[in-house]
Amino acid sequence: MAVPEALTASQIYHRCPPEKLDFATTDQLQDLELPFGQERVLRALEFGAGMAASGFNLFVLGPAGAGKHELVKRFLATHAAGEPVPSDWCHVFNFRHADQPNAIELPPGDGRTFQNDMNDLVSELKTAIPATFESEEYQSRIQELQEEVNRRQQQGLFAVQEEANANNIAMVSTPAGFSFAPMRNGEVIEPEEYKTFSDEEKALVEAKVEDLSKQLQQTIQQVPRLRKEMRERVHALNEEMVQLTLGAPIGELRDKWAHVPAVVAHLDAVREDVVEHVEAFQDNEHGAPGGVLNRYRVNLLVDNADTRGAPVVYGDLPTHQHLTGQIEHRAHQGNLYTDFTLIRAGALHRANGGYLVLDARRVLGQPLAWESLKRVLFAGEIRIESLERLYGLATTVSQQPEPIPLNVKVVLLGDRMLYYLLSHYDPDFLDLFKVEADFEDDLDRNDDSYPLYARMIATLARASGLMALDREAVARVIEHGSRLASDQKKLAAHDRVLKDLLAEADHWARQAGADGIGVRHVQQAIDEQKYRSSRIRERSLAQIRRGVTMIATEGETVGQVNGLSVLQIGATRFGQPTRITATARPGKGQVVDIEREAKLGGPIHSKTVMILSRFLANRYAPNGELSLSASLAFEQSYGGVEGDSASVAETCVLLSAIAGVPLKQSLAVTGSMNQHGEVQAVGGVNEKIEGFFTVCAQSGGVAGQGALLPASNVEHLMLNEQVRAAVQEGRFSIYPLRHIDQAIGLMTGMEAGVPGADGVYPEHTFNRVVADRLAEFAKVGKNKDDGTANESGGDGDNHNGDD
Amino acid sequence: MITTTVTTDQSKTPVAAGRVLILLDGSRLSLAALEAAAEIAAARQAEVVGIFVEESNLLRAAGFGFAREVGGSSGLARPLEAATLEARLQALANQVRHRLQQTMAPRGLTQTLKLCRGRVAEEVLNLMRPEDLVVLGRVGWSGIPGTRMGSTARVLLRQAPGDVLLWTECRPRHQNRVVVLLNHGQGANHRAVRVGAELARRSNQPLSVLIRTPPGDDQAVVADILTYLQREGMVARVKQIPVASAGAAVRALQAEGATQLVVSRTSNLLADQGMETLLSALNLPMTVTP
Repeated sequence: MAVPEALTASQIYHRCPPEKLDFATTDQLQDLELPFGQERVLRALEFGAGMAASGFNLFVLGPAGAGKHELVKRFLATHAAGEPVPSDWCHVFNFRHADQPNAIELPPGDGRTFQNDMNDLVSELKTAIPATFESEEYQSRIQELQEEVNRRQQQGLFAVQEEANANNIAMVSTPAGFSFAPMRNGEVIEPEEYKTFSDEEKALVEAKVEDLSKQLQQTIQQVPRLRKEMRERVHALNEEMVQLTLGAPIGELRDKWAHVPAVVAHLDAVREDVVEHVEAFQDNEHGAPGGVLNRYRVNLLVDNADTRGAPVVYGDLPTHQHLTGQIEHRAHQGNLYTDFTLIRAGALHRANGGYLVLDARRVLGQPLAWESLKRVLFAGEIRIESLERLYGLATTVSQQPEPIPLNVKVVLLGDRMLYYLLSHYDPDFLDLFKVEADFEDDLDRNDDSYPLYARMIATLARASGLMALDREAVARVIEHGSRLASDQKKLAAHDRVLKDLLAEADHWARQAGADGIGVRHVQQAIDEQKYRSSRIRERSLAQIRRGVTMIATEGETVGQVNGLSVLQIGATRFGQPTRITATARPGKGQVVDIEREAKLGGPIHSKTVMILSRFLANRYAPNGELSLSASLAFEQSYGGVEGDSASVAETCVLLSAIAGVPLKQSLAVTGSMNQHGEVQAVGGVNEKIEGFFTVCAQSGGVAGQGALLPASNVEHLMLNEQVRAAVQEGRFSIYPLRHIDQAIGLMTGMEAGVPGADGVYPEHTFNRVVADRLAEFAKVGKNKDDGTANESGGDGDNHNGDD
Repeated sequence: MITTTVTTDQSKTPVAAGRVLILLDGSRLSLAALEAAAEIAAARQAEVVGIFVEESNLLRAAGFGFAREVGGSSGLARPLEAATLEARLQALANQVRHRLQQTMAPRGLTQTLKLCRGRVAEEVLNLMRPEDLVVLGRVGWSGIPGTRMGSTARVLLRQAPGDVLLWTECRPRHQNRVVVLLNHGQGANHRAVRVGAELARRSNQPLSVLIRTPPGDDQAVVADILTYLQREGMVARVKQIPVASAGAAVRALQAEGATQLVVSRTSNLLADQGMETLLSALNLPMTVTP
């Protein structure tokens, strides 16, 4: 197979020629209404927002900082503006069940009016009712009543007294009541004198006293009944007076609110309650107690008087209480009190009839918030339950407000992992969030997208209050967008990264006193970002420079190759070469993955080694047994090794070890390989190549080095300027691989060789050397097997000797 | 109606040198009256004489073997025995003595308790001198429910040689005013005005003098009162009100915001049912001057 041509500078970097941009600075560009390239999300939002059926709530998924919130906010602002303003809601006292406040729905804006009307009514009650009680009419009527009852009370007693007097019996007051005794001339007669009375007289007196005592007893025992009657009549009078006083103001309000039957019913209940508690208003000095009057007030829970269109609410702290509302308490002399006026609306109340935007991660992070949200959405009504009550920690009497019907679209924002985890583990999730709005990470890069991307940059810059970018700067940002996307045909759509880059470029431009952001400021921002995060990379490079980590960038060595790996720490990614070595000797077709044996290799890496092992067996011993005991190791690697991107390098180094043919150390290799030897794409190619380039540059300069990568990765190349310059000058070469044989050719300088019709590789080809060497191994192995079988009946592979 | 306000510098009027007699029967109202009497006595630096009378009729009534006591609230009858009653009265007397000491001692007042046996009104009249003030609750424990004035109070009001204060507990109000209700053309006006002024000064309340004037009358009485007030260095609002029923007088007093009332016994308002009306409509302490 022919060795591939090295890539040209234009192939390893997709330039954005400024000529493609027909503006001087971004000031001339209009803002983008909606971001471009996000058609899928926009269609999902359009559908989800417009779909009336329940459960069609939205989950907008995409990486953090991708601008999900911004997009949803802008979309909903436009969409909601054309929708009707939802109703106001208020809670009023429930006169039948004091702990279950009623909810009243009112046309938008009417809530405030109703609240004011009821406040006015309360003020009127405060003055009008005491005035009624102070009136001459009331006072004289109450006095009449009292007089009458007193008179009836006294009448009975006086009657007894008169009857006693008529019979010459005195009714004498005692400290606790009354007693009867015979008298003469208004004085009780002496007991001694009484003894002189005849027996008939005595009998008469005593019988009369007995009779009077009974009469008195009956009279006195009627007093409670009289008092009760008095109370009832006073109450009836109070009711009558209050009905007259309240007639006008309540009648007026009834007429005014005739269009809301719930309000009319409430007004009637208020009137009945005032009449019932009329005695509370009789205190002329202090007026009615606040507790009684407050019951007639209105707790305006949702006020949409100033809302335009449907509300869009963002719950930035989506705790259970903030979502479903809460019932606050007032501390008074060490005790906590609550009533319906302390019911507070939650985000769901405020968003009712509109949209509620929430961060999925935040909702899930708050105790019970997620469960409460689901419960409310399933129930279609908001029921306020306190957290302590949900946990069963409080059993004190509290308020249980009437649930409010809910009609809200919930838009959850979250990363993809969260969406897929919820879909998998929460059986309710897909019932409630049926609309998936998946954010596009990357945008297509073509001639049509340049102006749109430029407008997006202009929009971002303007929104952040940054200076305008000139054409070259925009072109550089576009190129960097491709680098961020690691793709020549894509552009990164990541909002935060671009915003940060523009903000930093703006900073450097201002530092330099420029009146706009130029290409050098963008470049400075890129370089500075890279420099700030380069501490670990620098340390790693220093280790190589000082020979602590052994990497050769020139010469040829058997069984040793430069693999390429990518390290990611936080948001920083960088590539560096890793030495991979191999050994080979006769054995039983075994390739030992030292990384796996040491439990440092991941499953994908193990799979790679197995594939390469089968590739060897299939290619070089299709009919016989592969007699090989080989080992592969990533030298000076102390962390784990994972991934399949080293399989081409591993194949090369293993074949080199078997054949004893040296490999060029000036070339580094990356790429994955299948069982047929075809090279497959890998990730992080830019970082890997730049990493090796830097190592070459610091160990005696770049002269003739290069890197091998899968051909399918070429369109991912967006290499930096230093690499491009070296490629341009021919000091550094990058070769695209399609097959392992191409790698072999480049690494060894030998023809790989294609087997003839007989399946034998031609002479002086690399594969022939390998095949011959394996045949030798087989032979040695067979001899050894025979010998040991004769001597000891066989031994382990490890003791077969290296001879 | 003429309203005249006299404003001159206040000067101390000579304080009456009489004693303060306080009628105690152990009832709640009599104990409340005790506090009021203590205040007055402290202001006058007067001697306090408590009077506790064991009603002879009651003692005799208990002497009969068939005597029963019917409970004033419950209506239940139980035997009334002389020994038990004696003991109860003894206990009551001790309680009264204790309260009297307790109330007067902190004020540094001389007090004595006179225990008498007989008819209450008679005993008080025997003890009383013209310069004395007698203080008593409107009704004692002997009251029939709803009664505005007990029998003792009734007798004392009509016969006492000195001032009588009928005490009752009233709710505090916004307006507080001592009101002297005078009768046009009555000779004893000055004493009533003096008592009113003293009350006003002691309780730091403004003073009003209401004079019931028949229509078309001259201003002689008003002028006389004004002169008297001026001479005595008192500040008062003087008003004339028409002579009408007791009810009209009650309304005038309410309008004035009266919390204490002074009225002369000779006032024809107190004749017939006038006193009853006044007392039932106005729940406030009332001093009646001879």
